[in-house]
Order: sequence, then C-alpha cells, then structure tokens
Amino acid sequence: MTVQVILKGFGEVVKEVTFRVRRYDPEKDNTPKYSEYKVPVKKGMTVLDGILYIKEHIDPSLSARYSCRMGICGSCAMIINGKERLACQTQILELNKDLIKVDPLGNYNLIKDLVPDLSKLFNNHKSVKPYIIRNDNPPTAEYLQKPEEREKYAMFTECILCGACLSACPTMAADDLYLGPQALAQAYRYIADSRDMGFEERLNVLDSKHGVWRCHFAGACSEVCPKGVDPALAIQLLRGVLMKNSFFGYKQVPAPVGKERPTVVEGLKVLEEKIKESEKK
Amino acid sequence: MMLIDNKKGWISWFNPIKYGMDRWLFALHRLTGIFIGLYLIAHIFETSNILKGPLTWNNLMVFLDWPFGVHLGPYILSILLLAVVFHGFNGLRLTIVENGLMLTKPYRPDYPYEPKSLKGWNLGLKILTAILMIVIGIIGIVYIFTGVLL
Ligand code: HEM
Ligand code: SF4
Ligand code: FES
Repeated sequence: MTVQVILKGFGEVVKEVTFRVRRYDPEKDNTPKYSEYKVPVKKGMTVLDGILYIKEHIDPSLSARYSCRMGICGSCAMIINGKERLACQTQILELNKDLIKVDPLGNYNLIKDLVPDLSKLFNNHKSVKPYIIRNDNPPTAEYLQKPEEREKYAMFTECILCGACLSACPTMAADDLYLGPQALAQAYRYIADSRDMGFEERLNVLDSKHGVWRCHFAGACSEVCPKGVDPALAIQLLRGVLMKNSFFGYKQVPAPVGKERPTVVEGLKVLEEKIKESEKK
Repeated sequence: MMLIDNKKGWISWFNPIKYGMDRWLFALHRLTGIFIGLYLIAHIFETSNILKGPLTWNNLMVFLDWPFGVHLGPYILSILLLAVVFHGFNGLRLTIVENGLMLTKPYRPDYPYEPKSLKGWNLGLKILTAILMIVIGIIGIVYIFTGVLL
C-alpha cells in the first residue's frame, strides 16, 4: 500500500501577481531599470520560484544568485517589497500583495540584475579574523568548553553570510568602509568564545574609525536577518567589551586543553616531519 | 566587468519604513539632533540681538511669536520641546544600551526570529521615553500656550 500525503490545494494556481524586477545589464545599460512580468502563483511558491518561472518562461536573461533553495547557503538575499529577505524563504502568498517588487541588495556594488558583488562582505568578515586565535603550542587535544560557555556565542554562529544585514544597515548606506553588522557580530562570536585569545589582535580593526563605534543601534540588521542572529546584540555586547577594556583592561582566559590524545600527538609528529621534508626540498 | 555603485545613500537614513521601531527611533534621533543643532545656532544669533537695544529686541520677539503675521511661535517652541525631550531621553537610553548594558543575554533564536536585543529592558526604556515625552510634552505645551504651569 502506498502512503499518500495530500496537501490540500498544493500546486494549484491561486492567483497571478506582477513581478517588478530591477534589471541591469552591464553590457547594455548605463543605469538599472524596472521590468514587469506576470507570474501565475501556486500554493507554496517562493519568490525565488517566481524568478525562476520568469527565467524559464518569459525572459531567460534575468540573473539572480541562488543555490540551496532552502535558506542555508545565503546566496539569494535580495530586497523584496522594500525589505531584505531570502528569496527562497519568502512565500509569495504570504506577502499578500499583487505587486512583488524585487531589487538587488543595496550598499554593495551591482554586477547584474539581482546579483550583488559581495566581496565587501567577505573582505570585512576576513578582516576581523573569524577563527580561534591561540598563542600557545598547537593543541594535542580539544580545548575544553562548558555548555554554558558555548551559549555565550552559539547564536552568532548561525550566520550564513547572506549579506542582508549590510543592505539594511543605515550606516552602511553612507560609509563604504564600515565593517558592517556581519563582521562585527563574528568578531564578537570569537572574542566571546572561551577558547579564543585573539582579542588584542582584533582590537585595532574593531576600535577603528570605521569599526564598532559607527553602529547607531537602528536594529535593522537584526530585523532582516533570516537566521535570527541578532547582529545588533553582538555589536552592543562587543562595545561593552571594548569599553570594559579601556577602563579596566580586558583579559581573555584561555580554555584548558583536554587530555592528550595519542593519535593527535602522532599526527602532529607526522605533520612536523612532512613540513621539515618539504622545507628541505 | 562593469560594476555599478548601489549604495542607498544618506537620504535613506530618513526612510525607516519596512523595518522596526528602532529604525524609526534612529531616524528621529538623527533628525531631532540636526534640528536642535540648527536651533542652537539660530538661538545664539537670535539672542545676540539684545546688543542692538531693547527696541530691536522687542520687535524681534514679536516677529518670532508672530512670524509674517501668523501666530506660529508657540507651535515652533512646542515642536522644539518635543524634539529636545525625545533626543535627550532617547540619547540616555542609547548611552546605556549601546554600551551593552540592560540588554538580553545571548539566546537561542527561534523561528520566526524576533530579535530580543530590541525587547526586554531596552523596550522598557523606549516606553519610559514615550511616557516622559507625553508628560513633559503636556506640561510644557500647556505652559507655552497659556503661561500656566500645571
Ligand atoms: C540631553 C542631552 C543629550 C543627550 C543625552 C544626547 C545624546 C546623544 C547620543 C547618545 C547620540 C548618539 C546616538 C547614536 O548612537 O545614534 C546623539 C547624537 C546626536 N546628537 Fe545628541 N544628545 C543630547 C543633546 C544634543 C544637543 C543639544 C544637540 C544639538 C546641538 C544634539 C545633537 C546631536 C546630533 C546632531 C547627533 C547625531 C545624530 C546621529 O548620530 O544619529 N544632541 N546624541
Ligand atoms: S548576520 Fe544574518 S543577515 Fe547578516 S549575513 Fe549573517 S545571516 Fe545574513
Ligand atoms: S538559495 Fe540558498 S539561501 Fe536561498
């Protein structure tokens, strides 16, 4: 016997909406312009589905960036009806409008149509050294961390680098060099990690003219974040750490290393030999 | 590859539509900050007229109360009062929360992901600002229009 799942009304065309999409072709246009497309909407259809419908049935030259279609790769962030959202996570029927206006993310350079150049996001992320920094020897086991220590930064690890927050941020709208909510939240994510010792190393980037003090807590980043990262919270907590540092000094205490693991020690030896060998060559 | 700049620009500061309450407060804080800054300059210029003697001063006072024959003075002062009260109290709130104080601890986000940094005590301080604005606004505006101190 086959088990049939019946989703009532799923797949039926419910209504027709107009997609007003901002188009820009770097080879033809000097400025972006809007084009309109009529899209039949079925239950369950997302804005990304709508864009792909246009691409398949009306205008194949329409460009957008997407990959996973399930809100996890962070490729498809765009401005839908005035607000930054993931196209693949936005139900057309839930927007409850007959006109769907789609713009590429703001505050980035534009490559084509709905495709922003996210290199600013990635470079800023890189500049805050988003990894655990230690000044002791390579570990021979895990750094030990208590569950409650993990809770101090766990929520900020959810970031999928979609870049929506930078597009919503009013500081970003006028300051090209601002680090932005994503990078600042990740800086806090590592500084608040009990295994990290990199506070001092990150300080000059964070405490700079275009660093953490440029935030005005407008909260727009947190409003649009599709993963609930609440970058605005991380930024204010980061500022708290920097203030504490300037008044009383802020010291990170390194998390202890666990019981030595023979396999890790062996592995390190092999690695060292390999490095020596390659250095000889 | 021809990239074009797609920055929203400073004008977007004053368009808080589509985001939450804090985005409105940001726009208002900036607007009121600029407004009372400009007022301060104008105020210094205005009061410097006392140097030109009592007649000039009195004429200016009448003009500012009745600019171009319309009794706008009290309205302008009322708006100024509300702007200063808002900017001041919201500024105190920002001084607290922008230093990481009175905010929620990191938490586990749950769909539909309402940012808790804007809620809790932070929301409480926003409500307090609104209450103070209403109370001081009523007392001040009644005083401006009638000269009666409640
Ligand atoms: C009760 C006294 C005041 C307090 C507590 C206060 C507080 C603040 C704070 C905390 C900010 C930074 C807000 C942010 O991070 O976005 C700010 C911004 C500002 N303030 Fe004030 N302020 C006061 C009075 C004034 C006065 C008298 C003026 C005008 C001369 C003024 C003009 C401005 C301006 C132009 C800004 C920049 C707006 C912005 O960054 O969004 N403030 N104020
Ligand atoms: S913090 Fe949120 S909005 Fe910003 S890049 Fe990460 S997932 Fe996207
Ligand atoms: S396509 Fe991956 S997040 Fe939307």
